[in-house]
Amino acid sequence: MSLRQRLVPYWLLGPGLLWLIVFFVVPMYFMGELALRSGSLTTGFTFTWEWSNLPASLSGHTEQIVRSFYYAGAATVLALLIAYPLAYAIAFRAGRFKLLLLFAVIAPFFTTYLIRTIAWKTILSDSSPLVGVLQTLTLVPPDGRVLATSGAVIAGLTYNFLPFMILPLYANLERLDLRLIEAAKDLYSSSRQAFLKVTLPLTMPGIVAGVLLTFIPAFGDYINAQLLGGTQQAMVGNVIQSLYLTQRDYPEAAALSFLMMALILAVVTVYIRFAGTGAFMGGKDEGTTDG
Amino acid sequence: MGARGTRARGASLTIAAAIAAVALALGLAACGDDTVGGGGNGEVTTAEAGNVTGNLTVSNWPGYIDPGENGTVAEFEDETGVNVDYIEDINDNEAFFGKLQPQLEQGQSGGRSIFVLTDWMAKQMYDLGYLQEIDHDDLPAVFENLAPTLRGPSFDPERKFSVPWQSGMTGIWVDTAKAPEIRSVNDLFDPRYKGKVTMLTEMRDTVPLVMKAAGVDPEEATNQDWFDAIDKIKSAADSGQIRRFPGNDYIVDLTAGNVVAAIGWSGDASLIENDNAEWRMPTQGCMLWSDNMVIPVGAPNTAAALGWMDFVYQPEVAADITEKVTYVSPVDGVRDLLANRDPQLAKDQLIFPTEEFQRNCSTQDSPPDIEPVNEAWQSVITG
Repeated sequence: MSLRQRLVPYWLLGPGLLWLIVFFVVPMYFMGELALRSGSLTTGFTFTWEWSNLPASLSGHTEQIVRSFYYAGAATVLALLIAYPLAYAIAFRAGRFKLLLLFAVIAPFFTTYLIRTIAWKTILSDSSPLVGVLQTLTLVPPDGRVLATSGAVIAGLTYNFLPFMILPLYANLERLDLRLIEAAKDLYSSSRQAFLKVTLPLTMPGIVAGVLLTFIPAFGDYINAQLLGGTQQAMVGNVIQSLYLTQRDYPEAAALSFLMMALILAVVTVYIRFAGTGAFMGGKDEGTTDG
Repeated sequence: MGARGTRARGASLTIAAAIAAVALALGLAACGDDTVGGGGNGEVTTAEAGNVTGNLTVSNWPGYIDPGENGTVAEFEDETGVNVDYIEDINDNEAFFGKLQPQLEQGQSGGRSIFVLTDWMAKQMYDLGYLQEIDHDDLPAVFENLAPTLRGPSFDPERKFSVPWQSGMTGIWVDTAKAPEIRSVNDLFDPRYKGKVTMLTEMRDTVPLVMKAAGVDPEEATNQDWFDAIDKIKSAADSGQIRRFPGNDYIVDLTAGNVVAAIGWSGDASLIENDNAEWRMPTQGCMLWSDNMVIPVGAPNTAAALGWMDFVYQPEVAADITEKVTYVSPVDGVRDLLANRDPQLAKDQLIFPTEEFQRNCSTQDSPPDIEPVNEAWQSVITG
């Protein structure tokens, strides 16, 4: 193989690598360095290897961290429950409406995230028809409300991140070889068994990808809690925003961000192990690069 | 397989080396300047006057000027030939500070020549060395027409670095159809209105109002007074009495009828699409504040910035702005001009408040020791 040929992978890797260095490694470095500074905005923050910032940033915020796990987890489960049947229907039952339905999934992205979340304030407002129906069905007490509760925040997160669940699931389901299901049925499996033993395992990569794409941004989100939550719904993102913008404790904000990233990384690692590395990595080694 | 493994290892080594090199370079670069924040740009400069020409960038809050072809910006451009980039990118004092602070620290203003900031934030930036001083001789119209009550505020007694843009009052917006009897901030704690009340996230608006309702004068308040008021708000938040802590978007809940009362600003009537909403002067008085034009360090074309400040202090220009934004104008003579144009507006206590109307009001200020109080407050609003 000539030198030129051997360099090709590096050229291909180049732009992505540069992107990662400039927009990930460099900010990470600055954030890490900031997290170990001490001082205040008036005296200036000096680098002093202030490791105590890390535990200090957690104190008083455990409630919001636990809440973030709960909200993001609930939103992920809900999104999966909504997205799977939907993606399944689009992939196998939509016929000529397939493209239209896919478009409908993506259409909300034509409006900004913020506007869509503010729209939910109207949908869920106390005197809205939806809340009226929920009250009639006694799902919400007569003098109760939906907006400014945990339910509203979880609903907002589910809605906002749903497409990130649908799309990987759809991509995965669409490639599913239907002959495998036929084969299962030929071998006397019921529809339920065929789903559990064939469809579900084969769509695990889509589920894993969808769960990650939903859970991770939902965990760090602060817009939904800010706009749809009340006084007891702040998530860890709101705490970091407050530390950075209003308390101007840059080191503590950086330390907390760092710890949250580490925490998410740990959770995701465990999750991927649990869900099976192979599933996440795409299963089989394509092995086409070798010359 | 063996060859492939080696190559992969080679690649990852290359990547690791590249990352290490970048990190090292940054580390070295960072050594040159190892403090973040702290201000200290040396001595305070005075904004330089001169010919009013060229380009000018002004940062202001949204909806805070009369827009359009006959608006103030267009008028200024016609009169002086200055090309104005008027940007409405200030939604929140803290967030704006957070965004600009790294640049101001380097002595740059992000191309802007004027910011509009609330009193305490103007003071904070000045103390950090982020603002330039202003020579009164360069602003004849300003110091001729500036309302006497605004000439010596405690945060800038000689108006060395700030020129008021608009003033306003913080009080209570009440949905008169649902809770006509709310008149005091104490009423917001009435269990009858549980979950139907909001208070602003802005500490210097909400906390002093609660303090006043308890009979404490915020201008004389100790840290303990601040903590006591914050504790009172915290228990109301924990019990569900307070629905949420909004910023500018308190308007949304009020318009939608989700709340019966909200702590809010006096000039927002045009934004609240609820005919029953009425701004009320709290029984124990309101909070008074001004948003001020300031010239940041590193501002390009300070001559045009000074020209702009002086321009908007002509009563005719100020009257146009007042008519549109319905806040309290700092310019004397606006009322007389509007009395002819729009008598109803000239009688509005929220735009032209009398001394009698504002007799119990206090000026907005920071607590004696900001940091612990702010931390306590933030832990309430991120509950």
